[in-house]
Formats: sequence, structure tokens, C-alpha cells
Amino acid sequence: MTTPARDREQTLVEAFVRLADTLVTDYDVIDLFHGLCADCVTLLDADAAGLLLTDQRGSLQLVSASNEQAHLVELFQLQADQGPCLDAFRTGHQVRADDLATEDRWPRFTSRARESGFAAVHALPMRLRGEVVGALNLFHRQHHVMDEADLGVGQALADVATIAILTDRSSRQRELLTEQLQAALTSRVIIEQAKGVLAERGRIGLDEAFARMRSYARGHQVRLADVARDVVEGDIDTAALFG
Amino acid sequence: MDQVRLSQALAAAVASNDPDAPLAVCRACVAWLPVTGASLTVMAGPDRQEPVCATDDVSARIDELQFSLGDGPCVESFSTGRAVLVADIADPGERRWPVFAAAAADTGARGMYVFPLNVGASRIGVLDCYRDTPGTLDQQELTGALRAADAAVWTLLDTMAPHAATHGAPEVDVVDGSSLARAEVHQATGMLIAQGDLTAAAALARLRAAAFATGRTITDIADDVLARRLRLHLDGSLRANGYQDDETMDDPAHPRSRGEEDPP
Repeated sequence: MTTPARDREQTLVEAFVRLADTLVTDYDVIDLFHGLCADCVTLLDADAAGLLLTDQRGSLQLVSASNEQAHLVELFQLQADQGPCLDAFRTGHQVRADDLATEDRWPRFTSRARESGFAAVHALPMRLRGEVVGALNLFHRQHHVMDEADLGVGQALADVATIAILTDRSSRQRELLTEQLQAALTSRVIIEQAKGVLAERGRIGLDEAFARMRSYARGHQVRLADVARDVVEGDIDTAALFG
Repeated sequence: MDQVRLSQALAAAVASNDPDAPLAVCRACVAWLPVTGASLTVMAGPDRQEPVCATDDVSARIDELQFSLGDGPCVESFSTGRAVLVADIADPGERRWPVFAAAAADTGARGMYVFPLNVGASRIGVLDCYRDTPGTLDQQELTGALRAADAAVWTLLDTMAPHAATHGAPEVDVVDGSSLARAEVHQATGMLIAQGDLTAAAALARLRAAAFATGRTITDIADDVLARRLRLHLDGSLRANGYQDDETMDDPAHPRSRGEEDPP
């Protein structure tokens, strides 16, 4: 699906206007990340996108993905050990793997990615001054070379994600990046726990559980992170999510 | 600081399954991080904190002061669930905790570094470190302190669900605490929350106890819970069976293809 240049430019402008609007309000970092991942898919013709953050213990963790299917989540997680995201994180440079069929840098990651039907993958570092705090990961089902313009858009989206962590209002100590990263990761842990609670209560799959939470959050104009916390702490009647 | 020695000391504490393991974690902090003392406090109720252990009298006193005054970095970390790092509590420019700062001067504490012990939505306590000189922790030292906080989580969970028969925790779990980074561990925690009406901390404690009892990794146990091969029984153990309607259910570990859940 290629969009005519002017349409694309329009979409791009709209996306960044929306992101700027969000950044000056009392936003939730996890909600903003989900919007960003969806933007990556639309703007860059990607089939899936995810954001990984450093856990400050030398590893990377998934905080947000354009969809939460198990095979995709696993592909993000695998990169704690090897993969384009880990390389982007360690080097601070963009990592391109246009064609996984001929890729030999990350055997384990590549074979799982191909099994899941992906043909190309890109990773863009989330940089902050001298530090790299994570990476944006883009997957394509077809062999795909991202041109400089696309990489520029992707990098701009990754930079917005970095700024979002820094200016998160719930963060009381803005100077402490470590603390801000930890808070984003904790939000993610609560979402995973809530997925488990709903999967058990509703006898549904984990990706379905996530979809229910997200649609509830949208329908009720509440934050995804708050819905997740209420599910885990029993402060919400989970039947409302299965309605 | 020596990351390797610190990690080894933390791993030994977590693997020991000893009632003194929380104290061993605090001692590891003092031995391998630039801190003078360390202590652990747990949440015993919505507004009640309980000291668990401290490496020295000053550490114990710092905690006690904060909780009786209801003010200070430790109290703040408790209520927000966030880390609080103070370069110098005696600095007149440090105005965040006016009540506690005055009292803290008498203890000799300067730098204070408090880390929340979170299991997702559950706040189980804080790791409180202080030192008698002002200063911040560098990136490496912070990494070490975060690992210590992870280790403290495991040792405190053990006090919630003590392991009877043990094969010991598999090395992979205790060396780097990486199992706390696995999504499936948290998802399985969620399933146990629903099965036993447990808190997140209690549910994670069950997972760890099951790993301990069988000598398997906590990630393996989590996979079995997610695939509904194991479930929580009334006695608190994780055992097979209990699902009568297996055929009618989705297997969340291997979900059927559903397509993208949201159109862009």
C-alpha cells in the first residue's frame, strides 16, 4: 500500500500535530507509546512496530507494540539477548535488515522472525544527549528497504517517544532518567499482569485480553495504565470488559 | 564498585532460602555499593510499615524517624512507588522533606537512595540506603542498586510463600533477576491473581515457590500456567488439572490467529 506523496505528507503533519498536542497535556506515557506505534505502522507502511526500553540492568524490555500477538511479543523479547534492537541500543546507530533471507547477524532472532512471516526489520535508537535509552523496532512482511526519508520519519517518532518519557508529568524527579524509565517499565508490568487476570476470568487469549482493555479505555476515556491497575487490584468489575 | 561480586552476593542471598536472606541483600549493598548502611521495610497494611532488617543502628533509626514523622524520601517512595534519590539531605537547598530533614541531621546521613520494591501493581516495600557523605550514585552504581532491589523482592516474596521441599532455585533465576523482565512471568502472575484472588506479590510468590519446589525456572512454571497445564489449588500449590473445559478454551500461550486487533 503506497500512499500518494501529498496524502502522506498530510498524514505526517497530522500525526506530529497530534503528538505535539499530547505532549503539552497531562498524557500517559503508555497511551502515547501505543499511539506512536500505530503511527509507525501507518506512516512507514510497516506491518508491526514496537518500543523497547533499557531496564538499566543491561537488558531491553518491550513497553509498547502496535499489536500484542504472542509471536510478535516474543520477537521483541528475544532482543534482550540478540537482534537489531539490541545492536541499535548498544551502538546508538540505526540498524537495517532489509532482507532477513540473507541476514546472518542474529541467527536466533532471524529464524523466529521469518517463522512469524516477517521479511525485513529495522531498529532506530532512542537517543538522549549522550545516552541511548531504547529502540524503535519496525517489521515488514515483505522485503523492504527504508529510504532516508522513511528513516528520518521513524527517527523523529523515536525521538518523540524519548521526549515523552522525559516530560511525563507523573515523574516527580525529571532529572532522574533512571527513575523515569523504571516507571514506564512498571506500567508495562501492570499491563501484563492485567492481561493474565482477564485471560483467566474471561477464558480468552492474552492478545484478546489486551484488546478488551484498550477498547474499554478508549470507550470510557480513561488511561490504559489505569484500567490495567484497576483490573489487577480488583477495583473494576471485569465483567464490564467482557460486555 | 564491583558488579560481579555484588551480583554473586545477591544471587547467594536469593538462592539461600534463608530467613536472613533480606539482611544478606542489605549487607551486599554496603559491601559493594558506596553506601554506609541499608535497610528493608515492608508494607504491612495500607498505612502501616514494618521494618524487616537493617545493617546498622543508623539505618534503622532513619527508617523509624521517617515513618513516625510521616515525612522523608522513604515515605515518599512508599506512597508513590517511585525511586527517590537525594544527593544531600543536609543541603539547605533540599526542601522536599522539611520535617524529616531537621531530624535527619542528627543521624549523620547525607546521601539517601531509596528504591521501591514493586511487583507491578503491588508495592511490597522499599530498599533504603544512606551514606554519611553527600553525593549521587553513578550509572553503574544505580544499576547495582536496582539489582539489589530485585533481589530484595525475591527474598521478601519467600517470606510470603515459604518453600517446603526444595530443589533450590535454578541459577538462571537468581543470577541476574532477569525473570522479572519476562512478560510471561507477569501474565502468569495475573492468571494466579484471578485464580486465587491474590495480590500480585502473593501470586508471584506462588510462582517462585513452585519453581523452588521443582527445581525448574520461574519462566518454565509461568509457561505452564499460561498454557493451563498448571493451576493454583486451595492449598496454595500449583498443580496440574482443574480445567474441565480444556477443549473449549483458547490456549493463551498459543493463541489462534485473530488478525490485527485494531485497524490503524
